Amino acid sequence: MPQPSADVTIRVSNITKRFGDFTAVRDLSFDVHAGRVFGFLGPNGAGKTTTIRMIVGITAPDEGTITLNGEKISHKLQNRIGYLPEERGLYKKMRVVDQLRYFAALKGVDRSDADKRIDDWLGRMELSEWKRKKTTDLSKGMQQKVQFIATVLHDPAVLILDEPFSGLDPINVEFLIGVIDEYRTADKTIIFSTHLMSTAEKLCKDIILINKAEKVLGGSLREIKESYGKNLVAVRGTNLNGVLNDRSLVARTIHNADELEVELAQGIGSGALLRKLVDSKAEVTKFEEIEPSLNDIFIDKVKGADA
Amino acid sequence: MRKFLAVVKHEYRKVVFKWSFLIGTLLMPVILLVVSVIPLIIFSIKGGPTRIAVADPTGAVLPRLEQNLSTARLLERARQASGDQLKNISADQQERMHQSAAQFMQDFVIVPVATAGQSETDLRADMFRMIEKDEVDGYLLIPSNADDPEVKFEFRSRKGSDFISNDTLIDALNASVRSVRLANANIDEAQVANLSSKVNLDSKGIDESGAEKDTSGTFAASFAIGLMIYLTLVIYGQAIMGAVVEEKETRIAEILFSSARPFELMMGKLVGVGLAGLTQFSIWLGSALILISAAALQTDLGPLMETLPTITPFMVLMFVGYFLIGFFLYASLFALIGSMVTTVQEGGQFAFPPVLIMLSAFYFCFAVIRDPGSNVSFWVSIAPFLAPITMPVRILAEMPPLWQIALSFVVNIAAIIALVWFAARVYRVGMLMYGKRATIAEMLKWVRQS
Repeated sequence: MPQPSADVTIRVSNITKRFGDFTAVRDLSFDVHAGRVFGFLGPNGAGKTTTIRMIVGITAPDEGTITLNGEKISHKLQNRIGYLPEERGLYKKMRVVDQLRYFAALKGVDRSDADKRIDDWLGRMELSEWKRKKTTDLSKGMQQKVQFIATVLHDPAVLILDEPFSGLDPINVEFLIGVIDEYRTADKTIIFSTHLMSTAEKLCKDIILINKAEKVLGGSLREIKESYGKNLVAVRGTNLNGVLNDRSLVARTIHNADELEVELAQGIGSGALLRKLVDSKAEVTKFEEIEPSLNDIFIDKVKGADA
Repeated sequence: MRKFLAVVKHEYRKVVFKWSFLIGTLLMPVILLVVSVIPLIIFSIKGGPTRIAVADPTGAVLPRLEQNLSTARLLERARQASGDQLKNISADQQERMHQSAAQFMQDFVIVPVATAGQSETDLRADMFRMIEKDEVDGYLLIPSNADDPEVKFEFRSRKGSDFISNDTLIDALNASVRSVRLANANIDEAQVANLSSKVNLDSKGIDESGAEKDTSGTFAASFAIGLMIYLTLVIYGQAIMGAVVEEKETRIAEILFSSARPFELMMGKLVGVGLAGLTQFSIWLGSALILISAAALQTDLGPLMETLPTITPFMVLMFVGYFLIGFFLYASLFALIGSMVTTVQEGGQFAFPPVLIMLSAFYFCFAVIRDPGSNVSFWVSIAPFLAPITMPVRILAEMPPLWQIALSFVVNIAAIIALVWFAARVYRVGMLMYGKRATIAEMLKWVRQS
């Protein structure tokens, strides 16, 4: 059970969702903190979208509760949440401005407010001259931007982005990361779902990793990485082989481009290895502990579950 | 409620603010009008009078033919042909009819050809020369033994394909020759005419109170209202399905569902598109009423127009009411289908059953028009799904007892409530199911689960 804390905005407590005999989400709990980007990670089919739909209030959990600032999720709270679904769509034959007005109205925004914000956001996204164009006239990247505007028009306290970068070119990915970073202020909560660990690593402070409907690990990214151990070392130099072939010190070595990735043997610290190398008169030009990447952790955890 | 209204407004604008709607709404009455009026205009355009050289060796047919082709006689015949409806018309109307009929009548100029001492071959050659010199447009050669039933009358004309003129001429010629034959047989022509006059059938329907009414226009009017409701239901039912499938296909549903209740969204869509349909239906109904009344006042069709059933404000109210009932019945059905399928094409296949029901309701209209009081008419005008099309037709054909209208309303509104309840449950799950079409069994499960 997560402990209550002052800055928690979204609290998911022991939720389970079944579809017939299939359990999509089982006994899942986590907290999302205000002002931090929360990464919701997992392979395809792990239950991410089902969980997000429950947070957004599209479906209700069979068991457990979800609260936003202590209040149970309901249709009333939907106006405070902005949701960018993984599968995105716009009305094909409708002008950009009309779609945005409609989505804003559905979130309870007044027409005059909506018009002001639409102009503002279209300007920021460099789409002003496309305001009166139909969706079909827009490129895929532009449509994604319009979609993003639709998600934030009502200035939601909680922003939920499901795979927001899929299908975007690198320039637009950077651009959108900038916009998201700008949006992240003290009172905004951003949940960011993805199966791409590298982007999650760049953006998220906290993560939860789920696989096969269940939580695998969760917490602050820093702590997770630290707790995951530091038994990998990158080494570059000459005359290294004598020490590195000693199986009491080194479990195995992997040859990368111009350096070696060394996995330490059980009970051996990186300091001990360095001392041995220096003592053996080897010439060491690089010696650096490698932090496990989120990708490594992910693969390790997901594969471990499959084994 | 604000979100519901936002959906209504959105759906209404989506349908109405489109060129196709404007064209469909405004052009439909114009097209109908044009289609019905243009032939009349075209046929009323005629060249100069048809000049016919007539050679009559018998000397008996020609005077009768001239008489039969006179305007007065042609008018009389036209009046006989149009039957009893026009019998009791006022002198003023008669005068107007006279004038307009005169316009439609073909003018014939008969040029008698001297026949004394000429053979048929000579006559033919003479008359052919007249045609060549453009003195006449055609010739009629009456055989000397016109009495003989087997004998042929020879008519040659440069305007040979003008069937209106030909018909008129043939009728007149027939009458003339028959008159000659009767005279030759010493039979009194007037007496024969009297004896062979048609039975004078006074055919009028009577309503509940026993008041007489003419029924000849009722068929057309009832058919028109049935067709109008049927067409709008088909068009707008399919429009609903298209809109639902679009939102599902493009995944817009997910955004919508994260903003408002599925029920609000579905009902908003039904009401919005329904209002759009009502707009179009009202324009059509209104222009039909205006056209009818304009026609009754302006033209010589006035007497015919009087045979149309009187359309009371109550009837108009009923038509609008049944249109709305029909719309919500079929629209919720189409929304349900749209939320189950994955593409518009797939939806088209599944739309077939409801369209078939509409079509059968439309066909039942004929039974209702023929006998509005029959058992069949009673049941089809009460039954859900059929009543929205058949009851307005029945009301127009013969006003049923009010309790039957009330019963039909209650039955159909109950059906709407049940169907909307059912459809809403399917809709909220179906709209988020991607990849494959839902089966009936799955659909029933969703309904039970929610």
